[in-house]
Amino acid sequence: MFRLLPDTNINFIGVRRYAFGLSLLLVALGIFAFVMIVAGSAELGIDFAGGVMLQGHFSKATSIDELRSTLTSQFPEVNVTELTDFQYPNAFIIKTKNPGSDAEGRAHVVRIKELLTQHFAGNEFVVDSEHVIGPAVGESLRKDAVWAVLISLAGILVYIWIRFDFRFGVAATVATFHDVLAVLGIMFLMGREFNLLIITALLTLAGYSLTDTVVVFDRIRENLKKFRSRGEFVFSVNHSINEVLSRTIITSMTVMIVVVTLFFFGGEVLRDFSLALILGVIIGTYSSVFVASPIVVEWEARRPRRFK
Amino acid sequence: MSGQRWRILITAILVVVGLLAFWDTFKLWTMSDSEKQAMQQEDPGKLLELQQSAIRLGLDLQGGIHVVLKVKTDSLETKDASGAVERAMQVIRTRIDGLGVAEPNIQKQGGDRIIIDLPGYTDANRAEELVGQMAVLEFKLLESMDNATLLLQKVDSVVRASEKTLTGDSTAQTTPAQTDASASKTDSTADRADVLAEMMGKDSAGDTTDFGFDEELTASEDLNPFSSRLDQWLTGSETRAPWPCWAVNKRDRPRIERWLDLPEVKRLIPVDVQFAWSTRVEIRNNREVWDLYLLKRKVQFVGKYLENISIRRGQMGGHEVDFRVSSEGTGRFAQLTGANINKPLAVVLDGSVESAPFINSKIRGSGTITMGGTAKIEDAVNMKIVLEAGALPAPVEIIEKNIVGASLGADSISKGFYSSIVALLIILIFIGVYYRISGVIADIGLIFNVFFLLAVLAGLGATLTMPGIAGIILTIGISVDSNILIFERIREELRTGKTVRASIDAGYERAFVTIFDSHVTTLITAGALFIFGSGPIRGFAVTLFWGVTLSLYTAYVITKAIFDVRKTYQTISI
Repeated sequence: MFRLLPDTNINFIGVRRYAFGLSLLLVALGIFAFVMIVAGSAELGIDFAGGVMLQGHFSKATSIDELRSTLTSQFPEVNVTELTDFQYPNAFIIKTKNPGSDAEGRAHVVRIKELLTQHFAGNEFVVDSEHVIGPAVGESLRKDAVWAVLISLAGILVYIWIRFDFRFGVAATVATFHDVLAVLGIMFLMGREFNLLIITALLTLAGYSLTDTVVVFDRIRENLKKFRSRGEFVFSVNHSINEVLSRTIITSMTVMIVVVTLFFFGGEVLRDFSLALILGVIIGTYSSVFVASPIVVEWEARRPRRFK
Repeated sequence: MSGQRWRILITAILVVVGLLAFWDTFKLWTMSDSEKQAMQQEDPGKLLELQQSAIRLGLDLQGGIHVVLKVKTDSLETKDASGAVERAMQVIRTRIDGLGVAEPNIQKQGGDRIIIDLPGYTDANRAEELVGQMAVLEFKLLESMDNATLLLQKVDSVVRASEKTLTGDSTAQTTPAQTDASASKTDSTADRADVLAEMMGKDSAGDTTDFGFDEELTASEDLNPFSSRLDQWLTGSETRAPWPCWAVNKRDRPRIERWLDLPEVKRLIPVDVQFAWSTRVEIRNNREVWDLYLLKRKVQFVGKYLENISIRRGQMGGHEVDFRVSSEGTGRFAQLTGANINKPLAVVLDGSVESAPFINSKIRGSGTITMGGTAKIEDAVNMKIVLEAGALPAPVEIIEKNIVGASLGADSISKGFYSSIVALLIILIFIGVYYRISGVIADIGLIFNVFFLLAVLAGLGATLTMPGIAGIILTIGISVDSNILIFERIREELRTGKTVRASIDAGYERAFVTIFDSHVTTLITAGALFIFGSGPIRGFAVTLFWGVTLSLYTAYVITKAIFDVRKTYQTISI
């Protein structure tokens, strides 16, 4: 038998105060990021803000600074990035956001193409993709995203409350929110753009982190029956975490393998998506061990219910 | 062991069904481009059939156009507004069919939006023009030249007055650099013209750069700023009187438009006449010009009476659209043409004048629309398509469009393909090394999982997108979890001293609750994403949903069946 971990007996619950400190910090960061997004101060993708995205490549070597300065003369807010792993060299993504109207967004595309033709004579800019999203569509996509998040979190919550008791349900929900907020906060700190794919990644990691928590809780539930006679609540929780620890780590590793593969080989479209999932796997694993179960322990310590 | 037999039988049936569902996809994906071309030439129907029964690729993977239209029903009366979106969809569908796209997808979204997906089609300008135009075709008469001349004089004096106050102001502010001031003024009007030109699907490159001309204000331009920029040209022959149609230098159009938009000018124009521009820039005397017409507002005849539309090359080199007048329209058309012989009849499509040919004689059954001189064959074909499909019941606006080039799609496919293969291989090796022979059993289950997933996607006619591929890859990672949970449980049971057989059974049994719970939570997320997500996100939700659901089957039926091949075990490699 090839085992990554021997039988462990780590006192996870013992370090819960430190973990709570770190988690509070992450959650605060996440809430800050959320407020910034709502206030419009975060970088929103064109699918939420409305705007124009042009992806294309030049036939000759072109400096990104020259491209940027050409465009900023008319679009001060333009966002230009170079694509390094596209099949053609000299590939760039050009974005402008928040057009005043649908027609204005479409006009931006024409103007950008015109500017490029004029300034880079003899160096043709071939457009590989063009995406124009009007302000109204951006707004409805924002609404849809909020609904998707609310509905799935509510659905998960209801399911957990049915399957476990109230305290476990609350703890699992808190841990899930914790993970989503932490990843949101870190992505915000890194200055990443929030778009539909990031929301999708956040929901996926919510599902993933919850799975992790459910696995631990299932084991705690099972062990609580077994250890009832000993009356050791903290012991059975800690014991359960240790028992499922090797599963937790191996599963996290396999998921990590795929999201890292996606990060490196999935191309520009999926880069931020997979980055969010990488963060999600790390934080989700952390929270199922250091956040979800300790909440139940803390609750039990303050208002004992089970083993009077 | 009848349970075992059932498991094998059902799995065998599923594999056969899966192979059938996936077969066409497999064939299509393994075909090279040259083979596809050969098939296209040999039997295009067969290729289309193959493409339809294979897993469809989203726009992000095969290139194509995605357009979202908003139908503006607010201008309609309530009784017309209901069903306007459906009628618009019908019209657009007919127009798209004329374009010959393999598998267009047109659907309603929300109350007033229409989504149009044209996979594999990348002529964005043409598609936009085709779906975006109202296509209201009207025949109108031109105003008399006498009235037109009077109107121009009045407009001239008003414009002169208004320009004086305007230049007066700007000199007061920027005396030393008057040229700068007027250049930037032109710039801003050019800006607006661009927006306008773009709305009409026109390219106005070059308009913004050459301001040079504007500075040469001759005396006559000062005196008659408006009419001096209009070149009267539609005189016909000596027997015919001149008609109010003028050529306007291409770069003068923004200025003329601005003047015509002044409230004091608008007041001068009688309610029963209107100015209208030509559809395209025309070339006259080697100059690029827009034609400006003064039309009588009354609609004399409409496009819905036209049928049997065909296009041909005209004698003068341009394109002509021939039509027959339907039986309901003949009387009216004959009366109209009979009463207006030797007068021009403007053919107005969506407010722009396509051409204004002279009526030579009374026309009964059929006629010809001469396209403007700069019209291309695509313009003629578009005209035919929109006339056949009819007009939209309400104006539409493009509120979202996404154009993906074929090369970008191909790039995404190869990235998706390689990351899938790499992820799958690493996981297969990892699980195989970690859990030994049991790991190999899990690997077999995993391969079944991926195969079933592809088969289901093919069978459902689902569309594969780049996020969808990410969903498949993520499924690989998540579905392994079931096996890890089971195997870790078996190991624990073995450590408590149970027999191998008992440990296997207990491991499977005890892990079930956990696996079920974790699957349900993932399914809830996938469900929410499916309901609220759009396009690519839906693709992700669909693959995640089926991948996770199928993993329950492969973990609990297929891998268990393999373990159950032997009744008793002395040792187990786990």
